[in-house]
Amino acid sequence: MRLKRLGGIALASVIALMLLLPLAVTSSFALDILIRVLLFSFIGTAWNLLGGYARQLSLGHAAFFGLGAYTSTLLQIDFGISPWIGMVAGGVVALAASLPIGWLCFRLRGPYFTIATIATAQVLMLIFLKFRDFAWGAEGTTIPNLGHAPLMMQFDGKAYYYYIALGLLALALAVTARIERSRVGYYLVAIGEDEDAAEAIGVNVPKVKRDIYMISAFLTALAGTFYTQYIYFIDPQTAFNFNVSIEAALVSIVGGVGTLWGPVIGTVLLETTSALLQSWLGNSVGGVQLTVYSLILMAVILWRPTGIMGFLTEWRARRAKAPPALAKAQA
Amino acid sequence: MADALVINGLNKRFGGLRAVQDVSFTVRANETLALIGPNGAGKTTAFNLIMGFYRPDAGSVSAFGAELVGMRPHQVCALGVARTFQVAKPFGGMSVLDNVMTGAFLRDRSPDAARAKAREAIDFVGLSAREGTAARDLTTIDQRRLEMARALATQPRLLLLDEVMAGLNPAEVDQAVALVGKLSRRGLTIVIVEHLMRAIMAVAKHIVVLDHGQKIAEGAPKEIVANPEVIRAYLGSSYAHAPAAPGGAAS
Repeated sequence: MRLKRLGGIALASVIALMLLLPLAVTSSFALDILIRVLLFSFIGTAWNLLGGYARQLSLGHAAFFGLGAYTSTLLQIDFGISPWIGMVAGGVVALAASLPIGWLCFRLRGPYFTIATIATAQVLMLIFLKFRDFAWGAEGTTIPNLGHAPLMMQFDGKAYYYYIALGLLALALAVTARIERSRVGYYLVAIGEDEDAAEAIGVNVPKVKRDIYMISAFLTALAGTFYTQYIYFIDPQTAFNFNVSIEAALVSIVGGVGTLWGPVIGTVLLETTSALLQSWLGNSVGGVQLTVYSLILMAVILWRPTGIMGFLTEWRARRAKAPPALAKAQA
Repeated sequence: MADALVINGLNKRFGGLRAVQDVSFTVRANETLALIGPNGAGKTTAFNLIMGFYRPDAGSVSAFGAELVGMRPHQVCALGVARTFQVAKPFGGMSVLDNVMTGAFLRDRSPDAARAKAREAIDFVGLSAREGTAARDLTTIDQRRLEMARALATQPRLLLLDEVMAGLNPAEVDQAVALVGKLSRRGLTIVIVEHLMRAIMAVAKHIVVLDHGQKIAEGAPKEIVANPEVIRAYLGSSYAHAPAAPGGAAS
């Protein structure tokens, strides 16, 4: 009870802090980092629904990121439709695309599933590269700058983008929190643990996977629209970038898969590390900051395969148990 | 009494291996039937065919009058058939309570109702003290208990138990036998695959013997232990001379 109230207070303070942050942080560089942290937390949280809770390691979420980006951009440039509407449309397109993609990929398990998801994102990138009449091909296009046009999701200050990204993250976290406590949440974890056992107790495994994939795809696509509006540019390499797929999985794995806050914690950690290393080592030998970054990443994954959240849970459990000598080390 | 499970002319091949050949038997409602036979006789395959994990090449399986062939396992479960696995498959990272709740969600969408049903099932198998323990930290017998509780939470009418007593010590076997008896008295129809003859004699009034995928005998326990073909294929000749001797069968 007391813990719950403490948690509520902590959450309220974090929300208040996040809402007030742009008032204190005026540096455009710092805001840019914050926006990236929020954006990748959001993508990670969307990925986590499928990849974390249900342990379906997708490395193809760039497919949905790209579909979201292209849908809103095409609607805006060809039909003058606001990206706000385009964003939702992109989500729906991604959701629809997840059906055939899932139908193909979910036949495979484990690493084969992962490889298949990588392939789908690559195929989509190639399609957008080759069909030039449809969507500008490899050159891509810039988003026409309308100045400060909130209705067209264009703003003259970074703080606006910050609040949109924050809103998206809040949406994804709310969806996750709701699913986590519901029947579907239990079913997802059960599927992640053992599909046969889940089937045997009445879980319609293919349907649960399909449904969560749709939600995950929808949310990921929203990030695609946002990102394109933020950088005013789109091309297949950016929209379907493999790094988006990797980051989505990585932040969740480092933070703790299948936990509400894992992807957020993971993103904060990775983005901060990456930014700090960049500023400390970026001017010395070229690429050394990436090497150090990779080493840290490997260390974290080797040392704590359950991620930061897993570490915190174990630590709390160990502290709660008395005498501590009896606590199972490395459970 | 109506028939709970009717298996008719069941066949399953894996490549050149005929895992189950023309097997037919009927399980009456509320009875406990033991399915015995040497390793590789097709017992677990039969379970997988019943639950819909495999599709039979020929034959039919019907439970409570409904044809199961062609159904997926979750549909079979929704009809009131639940199983445990030979190698326990608990959801290791979940607590005992969460494991069983996942089963209870089949009949109750609301977490509170599912939690209440789950607690009931956990209490029934005697695992209440371990409610908050992660399933992977349980002992072997507690994992078996958990599997039973999770299956029970789906509120089955027919329960398939696959070697729930393997690897237990004699005291634990007694506990498991008592538990199966308790399940039966609760009105469940049970099909149990087991190697321990002592346990089988204690729980089952009706035995079906499989060997090389074929049914070689069926009847009451007394008839089965005296059946020369069962002795040859499974029990071993020593069993014929000492039918009352406890302990497992030689393989």
